[in-house]
Amino acid sequence: MDDEKNCTGPLIIALQYNDLFDLDSMSASTNTDDALPKGRAVTFIKAVQIVNERLVEQKETESLLFEVILIAKECSEEIKMKIVESVKYYGLEIGKFFFCKKEELINTLQSNKVKLFLSTDRDDVCEALHTGIPAALLYDQCDDHVLKVIISGDSIGFTEDSLDSLSDFGFSETQIETFKAAKICMKEFAVLIGQMRRRFGRENSPLCICVLTAWGSTNVCASALKTLRGWGLDVDEAFCLAGAPCSPILAVVKPHILWDCGLHNMRDLATQS
Amino acid sequence: MNKPLMKEMHTFGEQETSNQSSPSKKPTPPKPQNAITIAVSSRALFNMDREQDIYEQQGMEDYLKYQIQHEIEPFAPGPAFPFIKAVEAVNIRLRELYPDSEELFDVVLMTSNHAHVGLRLINSINHYQLFIERFCMTGGNSLIGYLKAYHANLYLSADSMKVREAIEEGIAAATVFSPGKITCCELSETQLRVAFDGDAVLFSDESEIIYKAHGLDKFYEHEKAHENKPLDHGPLKGFLEALGKLQQKFYAKGQRLDCPIRTYLVTARSAASSGTRALKTLRSWGLETDEALFLAGAPKGPMLEKIRPHIFFDDQMFHVKGAAELGTVAAHVPYGIAQKSQSKTARDVKKDMPE
Repeated sequence: MDDEKNCTGPLIIALQYNDLFDLDSMSASTNTDDALPKGRAVTFIKAVQIVNERLVEQKETESLLFEVILIAKECSEEIKMKIVESVKYYGLEIGKFFFCKKEELINTLQSNKVKLFLSTDRDDVCEALHTGIPAALLYDQCDDHVLKVIISGDSIGFTEDSLDSLSDFGFSETQIETFKAAKICMKEFAVLIGQMRRRFGRENSPLCICVLTAWGSTNVCASALKTLRGWGLDVDEAFCLAGAPCSPILAVVKPHILWDCGLHNMRDLATQS
Repeated sequence: MNKPLMKEMHTFGEQETSNQSSPSKKPTPPKPQNAITIAVSSRALFNMDREQDIYEQQGMEDYLKYQIQHEIEPFAPGPAFPFIKAVEAVNIRLRELYPDSEELFDVVLMTSNHAHVGLRLINSINHYQLFIERFCMTGGNSLIGYLKAYHANLYLSADSMKVREAIEEGIAAATVFSPGKITCCELSETQLRVAFDGDAVLFSDESEIIYKAHGLDKFYEHEKAHENKPLDHGPLKGFLEALGKLQQKFYAKGQRLDCPIRTYLVTARSAASSGTRALKTLRSWGLETDEALFLAGAPKGPMLEKIRPHIFFDDQMFHVKGAAELGTVAAHVPYGIAQKSQSKTARDVKKDMPE
């Protein structure tokens, strides 16, 4: 496969500033001259930066790199300054900053050709998916050496028809639509991340792709693996839970990116640390 | 977690591939904490000798390429295969008697293989109609966290290093060896038979330490003198306990004679002296085995050949090999004093071999 032709980088990932910085932990006594306290997304960005470094090591002119953009809704001028300063302070490579109003979030994502919108807020993720923007949960990872992505085997492995009949089993219309939306959105991201993954070998890769099938049978998982392979994405790890609680497994895998797709139905899922 | 939802959710994928009008829908796997979870590696469940050769001689890339090229070829059964089949037979009986209970065996495929081998493994599972709905393919990462996440009651693997790691983490585990002769066809398909060595398997190695330090006579003396003091427990006590719990469920329905689980104690202890302590210890734990065979040091192979267990657990490679030579699926439990003086196993596993 001619990688050059297929590559349409950079792979733009959008984050929100309240995931990058932990504003809740700021108290009245916090020195206003200090950088904002680190949030969950900092480890993610560090892992992304390592992938980029390794990609450039292999090929200086590599264009399929990650690019992280930061979105901040409803910020005061003061916070805006602090955000930019703190990003610099922590040495985070942020491509662009977007300060916008709450209702402009979706537009901002769409107009910037975001390949993935990452958030710890499930509602934001769902809303984005429903408007056709690939979105996933920024999970409670702690590893900054390997960037781990979990793709939903249920979303990819179930056929459209099977997804519809999910309503018989308690999934709401909206939840089913989320599954379907994710199925469509995921493809472009999967193709790009697949190309990126192939730049590295089996072992010592700074990027690791996993498939998690939470409800579907092993055949659903097999279908997902085949589909992903057809899109050029070779998966490293695969998990099939058949209804077992997923938190214990996720606690071991420790992904950065988790395609949610209704896992929030399982109330034991912990994304808030 | 809303359980009634999940119960039916799971059977979904089956409708895609099986006949819609087929009455036999696959049942839902139980919640891990309720079930007796048996984690089995891909090389314990299936025969991957040829693939192992390719990995050792040609490396990871060629190994994976080979696996993908042969994706639709199911693997031949491995040493743990008959055991897993027998476990499933027990489940069928349990479901008949207790349709709503989650106290069942749950078999999970736990492998450090890459997901590239996933399709071949799933195809193989389907080929033999094994009821394995859960798996973890960790792409080379450690299995320990996943074993714990699944509350694994027993981990069977062909890789002694992984087994050792699991034992050290307090997980019941054993390295499975292929029997010298092919005996799968001679094993019962209706009754799961599990044989255990006593010391350093069901019991701790405290008495074996005495035997090693002071010899057989001292060992017998010591055991007779301490006959009423229960031994400490060993790594597989919990698994015997789990089997006992399931046996009770059959007894409760009047199926003692027809029980599809049978357990055996096969020990070098002697009935005349040291055996009593073993039996009393089991009794003090509220446990028992269906049969107890005291060999007074005689080789275990011939006795096991008569019993035909689906699996035999022992802490000493000498006994494991002896059993395997005579056709028993033997599994080594790397625990206790006996490990300090083990000779190398016949086929040392290359580090990081996916398994």
